[in-house]
Amino acid sequence: MTGPVEILATAVMARRRRSRRFSLLFQAGIAALVLWSLEAIVIGDTDWSRITLASVGRALGRFAEFDWRLMPDLLEPALETVLMATLATLLGLLLAIPVAWLGAANISPVGRVTYVLGRGLMTLSRSIHEMVWGLVFVAAVGLGALAGILAMSLRSIGFISKMVAEAIEDVDTGPIEAMRAAGGNRFQVLLYAIVPQVLPVVLGSIIFEWDVNVRRSTIMGLVGAGGLGLALHRQIVSYNYGGIVAVILIILGIILIGEVASNRARQAVL
Amino acid sequence: MPTTTSSAPWPISPAMPPVLEICDLRVSYVAGPEVLKGISFAVGADEFVAIIGSSGAGKSTLIRCVNRLVEPSHGRVLFNGRDMLRLDSGDLRRERRNIGMIFQQFNLIERMSVIDNVLTGRLGHTGTLRSLFRMFRREDIERAVRLLDRFGLAEHIDKRADQLSGGQRQRVGIARALIQNPGLLLVDEPTSSLDPKISREVMALIRDAAREFAIPVLCNIHDVALALEFGTRVIGLQGGRVMFDAPAAEVDQIVLNRIYNMEVL
Repeated sequence: MTGPVEILATAVMARRRRSRRFSLLFQAGIAALVLWSLEAIVIGDTDWSRITLASVGRALGRFAEFDWRLMPDLLEPALETVLMATLATLLGLLLAIPVAWLGAANISPVGRVTYVLGRGLMTLSRSIHEMVWGLVFVAAVGLGALAGILAMSLRSIGFISKMVAEAIEDVDTGPIEAMRAAGGNRFQVLLYAIVPQVLPVVLGSIIFEWDVNVRRSTIMGLVGAGGLGLALHRQIVSYNYGGIVAVILIILGIILIGEVASNRARQAVL
Repeated sequence: MPTTTSSAPWPISPAMPPVLEICDLRVSYVAGPEVLKGISFAVGADEFVAIIGSSGAGKSTLIRCVNRLVEPSHGRVLFNGRDMLRLDSGDLRRERRNIGMIFQQFNLIERMSVIDNVLTGRLGHTGTLRSLFRMFRREDIERAVRLLDRFGLAEHIDKRADQLSGGQRQRVGIARALIQNPGLLLVDEPTSSLDPKISREVMALIRDAAREFAIPVLCNIHDVALALEFGTRVIGLQGGRVMFDAPAAEVDQIVLNRIYNMEVL
């Protein structure tokens, strides 16, 4: 006897069988893709005869010859790196504020058009790597820290303005209503009802972005845009392995200090 | 046909022209039915008008039409004889300075100090540059302090607004409205976020201040007992229409039964 429950159960069983079969097929497909890419770009493309235990050991051994003499010369570029990150973050914030204003749907000045413009600028800023911006600015303003600062600040706009724009879209509208009811103009509404509500997000994102910019600025020199990266580049092209290690250790130190400092700042602000 | 003041259910003394006159007010939001379907009444200088009605009756929309936080689609809102609906944005801002508003959720700026919150009531009279640096005038600061002291908040002046209790925050909201020196108070469900005891205190505060400074009040309140106790006149709203409009003393059990019956329907 097949009642309605049995019919339904049979249908459920069939559906489950189908979806199981599909997911098995899907997993097999993924596995095939992984195997194929391993063969194509790793196994086939590597000179295996060159890799022996001895050669790897020799190479690693060269990195162990730490070059102490370099340390005093690295202090200035190290400081420059941190200053570059700081200036880039501040400039990024300055540029991000108008972009956030355009890209926040609820306050964008001319509505749809400026909103799309703002969102477009955010995407543009975030989709181009800082090294690419760096190449552009080295060509435009020459070698040195300025190119790096400009490159990183353009990259920072995207993150900061996106966070701030989203915070603006999420504000409690009550205070806005109250400021308008009291006869406040647009600027006063922005200043009193919106700014205090998004301030924690603004501070949080510039702390985060400073931390990221410290990392970025350590390698901006690879394209000639100032900081420790330039020293790293020099050591690499002169095959001075001990020097490479010295620069890398300094970079590691700066990043650790940056991490600690940004954590402290975050706790103080939020 | 739009009704006018003369058709109000009781006489307004000719010596005292109404402060607020609403004629055939209609509101419809995009792609929806009308929220207000032709509201008309007038508010005299010494009145405390309580508007009652269930949620969705249009109370909140009605009160926001007066200072055009909501744009009506039809009708007239005469405030001291000027039609609010015909003002351009500059004139509207100037007229809003003369209308204080008190909100259900207080609408304070949580991360700002109590006194700065009160001072925002003076924004309409403060230049943009001054407001950028929060440089309010000394006389405004004195009035803010006086109002906060009157409401028992003297020791909380420099605290952040989010550190106060609900009742204290609503007092800050009332002080912010009063510092405008308004010619009309719009009050939107002032007690909905408060417990019954604090609710009565807050209502008494609003009534006493309104009497002292001779400010007429238009107050949404769903609590009928509070409406009868504090209102001099009660307007019942239902489905976007005025269902009754009478002095509070004349609202008896029969009328109330009618409201409750209407609300059941």
